[in-house]
Amino acid sequence: MKIRKRKHDQEVNTGSMADIAFLLLIFFLVATTLLQEKGLDLQLPRKKEDNSTSPPIKERNLFKVMVNSRQEILIEGEYRKDLVGLRDEIKAFVLNNGKQEHLSESPKKATISLKTSRGTKYASFIQVLDELKAAYFEIYAENIGLTKKEYLKLKQSDPQQNQLYLKSKEGIPMNISIAEPTI
Amino acid sequence: MAHFRKKASRKTQISTSSLPDIVFLLLFFFMVSATIKPNAELLAYKVPNAENLVKPEMKFLIKELVIGFPKSQKLGVTSRISDGKRYLEIKDIAQWATAAKAELPENYKDQMIVLLKADADVDMGLIADIQEQLREVDARKVLYRTSESTTDPIQ
Repeated sequence: MKIRKRKHDQEVNTGSMADIAFLLLIFFLVATTLLQEKGLDLQLPRKKEDNSTSPPIKERNLFKVMVNSRQEILIEGEYRKDLVGLRDEIKAFVLNNGKQEHLSESPKKATISLKTSRGTKYASFIQVLDELKAAYFEIYAENIGLTKKEYLKLKQSDPQQNQLYLKSKEGIPMNISIAEPTI
Repeated sequence: MAHFRKKASRKTQISTSSLPDIVFLLLFFFMVSATIKPNAELLAYKVPNAENLVKPEMKFLIKELVIGFPKSQKLGVTSRISDGKRYLEIKDIAQWATAAKAELPENYKDQMIVLLKADADVDMGLIADIQEQLREVDARKVLYRTSESTTDPIQ
């Protein structure tokens, strides 16, 4: 009787336990999202009190992009259906160096203003901001003879790459200003 | 009968010595993942796509805010803010940012990055209110979390 019982214990298949455990492991590996920190960065302006002391920006140095609550886009006072060409316009605006009357005086003074309304969808805002970033990154990448993709892969922790990175940005600050939304 | 005997003898040959390894592997996995994501998410959100993403070099500077819609219908359908552990109101943001800043080493306090994980359908009004609060306490570096779109939407 005892012997038979022991035999029964041995029949439990523990070999498949490993499979089950691995299945679980793989499931959780796939299902858990780790901290993902990629995104669009932005520097917010200073507090309001400090803001009032800064001198007003000349009209020609300001490139205005507005998105209203119906997700309609107004670029430099002109209604647009989509963002086609915005990237090139910004590049021309920033790198104008005072050549054309209505564009910026210098890359340092050039400011892109992105204004939204309170009802603007976050996705529309990101879409426009992405284009603004793309324009600047393309300028930076061209400065050091890289493509935008290669530029975005530069590692600041590496001294040589950091030097390139700093060189690309020289004299061209990314002046993207987020105006407070209108109602 | 002969067939049955054969099967039984094969089963006894299976080694279970690797089982503890597997269990330990699982255990370690759960331990590691628990530190990455300490709390269940309170809000549902789907971040918008963008192409030109940057990755901050120092991850410890990142503090997270989630802006999304409550998962439970009891809490309504309006967008809410959470820091991963609890719901925050607009007026709490400044306090949260100050507390988050205090956790950083002294020489990095001014470099704190606030990672905004916002749903694509959230109104900019709420985002602007948060930014207003962040400006008040001089936490001015924000990072809008976006997922990477593989194709360029414009060109």
